[in-house]
Amino acid sequence: MMDILFLLLSSFAILGAVGMVSFHQPVHSALSLILTIMALAGLFALLSASFLFMVQIIIYAGAILTLFIFIIMFLNVKEANLPKEPNKAMTLFLGSLALLPLNFLILRAFYKMPLHVNPVASDFGKIKPLGMELFTHWLLPFELISILLLVALIGAVVLGRKDEA
Amino acid sequence: MSLLLALIVLIPLLSSVLIGFLYLYSITQKRLATLWFTIPALLAPCASFVLGVVSFVYVAKGDIPLHFQPYLWLGVGGHNIYMGFLGDKLSLFMVLFITFVGWLIHLYATSYMREDEGYGKFFFYFNLFLSSMLLLVLADGPLIMFIGWEGVGLCSYLLISFYFLDNSNVVAGNKAFIVNRIGDLGFLIGLAILFFYCGEAGFDYASIADKVASMPVWLLQVVGVALFIGAMGKSAQIPLYVWLPDAMAGPTPVSALIHAATMVTAGVYMVARFSFLYELIPHVGLFIAYIGAFSALFAAVIATKQSDIKKILAYSTMSQLGYMFIAVGLGAYSSALFHVFTHAFFKALLFMGAGAVIIALHHEQNIFKMGGMKRVTPVVYITMLMATLAISGIPPFAGFFSKDEILLTAFARGEYLIWGIAVCSAVLTAYYMFRLFFVVFEGKNALHVNHPHDVSWVMKAPLVVLAFGSLFAGFMGLPSLLGGSHLIGTWLGEWGSRALHVSHETEWMLLGLNIAVSLLGIGIAYKKFRFYDLSKHKEATQGIVYNKFYVDELYNLLFVRSIQKLSEFIAVNLDVNLVDRFIMGLSHGFIKLGNVVGVVQNANVRFYALIMMLGISAASCYLIFTLG
Amino acid sequence: MIAHTLFAYIFVAMILFSIGLLGVISRKNIFVIYMSIELMLNAINLMFVALSHYHHDMGGQVMAMMVIAIAAAEAGVFLSLIVVLYRRKKSLDSDLFRTLSQKEVA
Repeated sequence: MMDILFLLLSSFAILGAVGMVSFHQPVHSALSLILTIMALAGLFALLSASFLFMVQIIIYAGAILTLFIFIIMFLNVKEANLPKEPNKAMTLFLGSLALLPLNFLILRAFYKMPLHVNPVASDFGKIKPLGMELFTHWLLPFELISILLLVALIGAVVLGRKDEA
Repeated sequence: MSLLLALIVLIPLLSSVLIGFLYLYSITQKRLATLWFTIPALLAPCASFVLGVVSFVYVAKGDIPLHFQPYLWLGVGGHNIYMGFLGDKLSLFMVLFITFVGWLIHLYATSYMREDEGYGKFFFYFNLFLSSMLLLVLADGPLIMFIGWEGVGLCSYLLISFYFLDNSNVVAGNKAFIVNRIGDLGFLIGLAILFFYCGEAGFDYASIADKVASMPVWLLQVVGVALFIGAMGKSAQIPLYVWLPDAMAGPTPVSALIHAATMVTAGVYMVARFSFLYELIPHVGLFIAYIGAFSALFAAVIATKQSDIKKILAYSTMSQLGYMFIAVGLGAYSSALFHVFTHAFFKALLFMGAGAVIIALHHEQNIFKMGGMKRVTPVVYITMLMATLAISGIPPFAGFFSKDEILLTAFARGEYLIWGIAVCSAVLTAYYMFRLFFVVFEGKNALHVNHPHDVSWVMKAPLVVLAFGSLFAGFMGLPSLLGGSHLIGTWLGEWGSRALHVSHETEWMLLGLNIAVSLLGIGIAYKKFRFYDLSKHKEATQGIVYNKFYVDELYNLLFVRSIQKLSEFIAVNLDVNLVDRFIMGLSHGFIKLGNVVGVVQNANVRFYALIMMLGISAASCYLIFTLG
Repeated sequence: MIAHTLFAYIFVAMILFSIGLLGVISRKNIFVIYMSIELMLNAINLMFVALSHYHHDMGGQVMAMMVIAIAAAEAGVFLSLIVVLYRRKKSLDSDLFRTLSQKEVA
């Protein structure tokens, strides 16, 4: 059962990724990416990361990518604005060949690790243990992330201003 | 006491520097009267002469040479060369007549150069020359001598091209310097070989003399020939003589001092100094003697057809130098130096007299435009007569004794060919000298265009002094045959020739023969030129002899033009095509390489990311292969 | 069961990462470049979570949450930049922005 789920989710993820990289129109690419995000959320659930599964859908798919599509529509992208990419397929193919060694290297390292996994604790990945972990061991990074978000907010506002004439 | 040696060299040097500064002041700030220059210029040779006499007397009494080594000049890895002055009998002998004759010529020059703009400059060079010549003679080692050698070459160049506004004078100066340089190359090669073999224990004559016997004979011969090439250049022997006639472009005092009495005898002095070397290589000595003989004859032949008064005297200098080299070549060093001594007197006198005549006729130098000068300048007439008799070898004048001794040496050694050539040269010498004398002084005054006038007593006084010298200098070397004690021969006893085995009868015969051939030459000249009608004279411009056997043209063709062509070729072709292309090609290549590599920096960030990815792939490949 | 193996998840994550990297390099469209970056971040998230599950360590999941937060911040800034650049050049071609090059310096 879990295997089938896994295989389905994986294939959707990869399919979405391939589509995202291949489509000409950005909106199509964004929608493919949403598919991939959803599939990844499912994979998170399979890995007993329930909170993260929810966070992924709400934040990533629901906020970030929505913003993305909003911007695409806001800019009123027409065909003339899009770059012409004649050699897209060939480049992608050659690139994939170039990346084979890296993949091979890392996967071979992981392949040698023992296969089976011990069962996890029952509340592994739930919100309460996650919160405990976050606010005890990871307090400083948490605070810094909030500052980062503040900075990004201000930066986005500054950048988005119209130039004074 | 030995400090005096350094002073003999230094005083003219300092005087010349002083005159140089005064001259610079004179031309940039305020003009100075000529007296400012005359006084240091005349005092310096006089001082050197006095010090020379003092040193001479000292060495004569004590019989130990003076040696002064003030400081270490070059200390190169164990080889130590000291700046040193050696006052032994030979060098002090040379110093005496160099300073005496030099002083007289300085005096003469103060009148000769009186009206010249560059009066101060002239004496700057002149005193510098004297200092260099004295350094050459008083040096205690060949390297120090070479400093003086180069110095006299330099001053010769500076003085020949003194009237530098005329290009031909500059060319003559260049020629002198360049030909001298060729000789110097030979000299340096010889010095280098000597230094290589003998340099460890110091490089002065005594140390070299000790070590020379240990060198292989063939190497000694090489050294001997190489050193002689330097002498060839300096003393104008075949084949490096071509500069001497052209050097007459300089002012007459220059010709008198440098090219008659002193610089040209440096070569003879050098061979005499290296007598310890040349004793060991008699074949090279014979070679030297032959070169001297041929030079003597060659020059004498050319002189018979020349019409410029100074050129005739130049060729006669070369001829007399040939005699000196015959003597040193055959090992008779004291005879050669005796001839140097007498030659200094009468040759300087001849040149100065010629200068007086030239001045009197307002710078006319062609003898066929002169004539009847005996009425205009009687003092010059009498003194020139004495000098001409001296050079022709008529007793009791000086040249007779020295020349006779050389010819006797040649005959006694069995070198009959050399002796014969020398006798022929003697005939020709008498002939052309009296040709000059009769044409210039006797007869009617050819062209009354220039009103000739007499010259000042300042110019005539040295002539008179030297005339006495020409008369009596010969008695310094009176041979035992005639009852004399040969003062010079005994003084220079170390350098004296080996005993000659000739009978008294042969000596008398040869003596008589010499007088006879000289009278023969004078007789022919008398017949042809005593009553020569100059108005009917036709200039001979043709003829192989008149054109000096075309040697200059030959050298020009063989050496000068080939080097010029080579230089042109290199400058126009090689330099532009090969070198410039190579260098510019290199730089352009780098620029092109930069442009090619610069494609990578195309400001396309995606491209940079691509390169990073390719780098990661390459690294992964490498890791895969090394980690197995 | 392959779902219980670490290797499978890592395999998927690596493929996604590679596709993301390819997208950054191959495409000229700015939007697609950005989305490929997001894809790479997601692949890394998957790796973190898989390894946290393997090692029974919550730190991986916390880390993944941090990454999501960073991705959000980055999205904000990035999209403002795209808007600004679009106003400048009226095109979404990333090759047009070359002011690093010497020739473009006005």
